Amino acid sequence: MILIINTTTDQEISRQVRAFIQDTGKEAEIIEAGKMNIHPCAGCNHCWLKTPGVCSIKDDYEFILKKIIHADQLWVISDTAWGFLDHKGKNIYDRILPVATMYLKFSGKQMRHIMRYKQKTDIGIIYTGDGDREYLERWNKRAALNFGSRSLGAFPVETMKEAIACM
Amino acid sequence: MHVMIINGSPRVKQFSNTDKILEEFTKGMCENGTTFEQYEISDRRQWDAIREAYYQNENILIALPLYVECIPGLLMEFLETLHHREDKVRLSFILQSGFAEGIQLRCGEAYLEKLAGRLGCEYGGTLVKGDNFSIRLLGEEQRKKVTGPYENMGREFGKQGNFLSDTCRSFTGPEVFPAYVRWMLSLIFQTFAKKGFNRFAKSWGCKEPLDYKPYE
Ligand SMILES: Cc1cc2nc3c(=O)[nH]c(=O)nc-3n(C[C@H](O)[C@H](O)[C@H](O)COP(=O)(O)O)c2cc1C
Repeated sequence: MILIINTTTDQEISRQVRAFIQDTGKEAEIIEAGKMNIHPCAGCNHCWLKTPGVCSIKDDYEFILKKIIHADQLWVISDTAWGFLDHKGKNIYDRILPVATMYLKFSGKQMRHIMRYKQKTDIGIIYTGDGDREYLERWNKRAALNFGSRSLGAFPVETMKEAIACM
Repeated sequence: MHVMIINGSPRVKQFSNTDKILEEFTKGMCENGTTFEQYEISDRRQWDAIREAYYQNENILIALPLYVECIPGLLMEFLETLHHREDKVRLSFILQSGFAEGIQLRCGEAYLEKLAGRLGCEYGGTLVKGDNFSIRLLGEEQRKKVTGPYENMGREFGKQGNFLSDTCRSFTGPEVFPAYVRWMLSLIFQTFAKKGFNRFAKSWGCKEPLDYKPYE
């Protein structure tokens, strides 16, 4: 399953993405998260050490998290700020912590947390505004390590067709 | 020199590892007469005051935990409310994280340099170090072993006003661990560390195994 989370309030982007995807015959679910109530991660560590796998913040993210753990691909549509994802986009990533466990291992030469679920969700970014594409590509590769998966790339919204070709 | 310090951690001050690091860091920094004021991003009531101080100060230090390879969403939300500064201001960073190897923090560090430029500030470098996850879980004495070395880095910053010296750069420690250390650590992860985490979870009232799968 392809999961697309639009953290911007511009639903026109979703409409275009949906139209392009329909042309390819693939199936995707698009969630409009731009106006959802999603708090930033507060670093309480409950999802690792108190209520394993469950976030202590009760807001709209729980619904998203349950979808992510069954998705083959997660695409985050985000505005940018100071060249990076804005806070709404970044919060989607920060709140992913419950998919990892506290337990540690080495993955290649680097320490990592052991993932909670078998499902591997590859991740990609479609962004608006003055994003630093080279950096976002680099960062998304690192971010994928936190999902135990691969990066699908970072695409300016004008090139969304390229992103959809990767779906 | 007067330094404005922002603790960029979303964790409340009491539990923030960054705060414990700053405690030691500022001890060293103040030895030569340097003074500072400190603010917490985790407390939204301070945001107006932080913005005001940000525009008034010329030496700004943001200390932050690595959150998914870059800056925490909450800190980004605050930064979005700032505008570009045209005057001469130096922005330096302390970047700290859970994983221990230097390589884990480089992507985050690279962003901080870009960020300083985008904000219109002169980049004063980033003090980069991992292996700080356990600070909040440790008792006073053990904690000091982890945070203590930051005192000397504070001293260095007090003298230089930045983190560009070789002493500060080498503070990171190894980029990756040699193979035999990785082998030893893997063994510890599967035994002592696992037991330690389980014991700790119990003390927090955890009733499930730590690899429990609530949504399967
Ligand atoms: C949402 C979240 C994401 C994190 N991401 C990383 C990471 O990518 N790499 C890492 O080494 N540590 C990561 N950490 C660990 C923190 O950087 C580390 O525990 C830090 O010492 C916390 O400092 P604080 O208590 O001041 O917030 C993460 C922690 C949280 C809560």
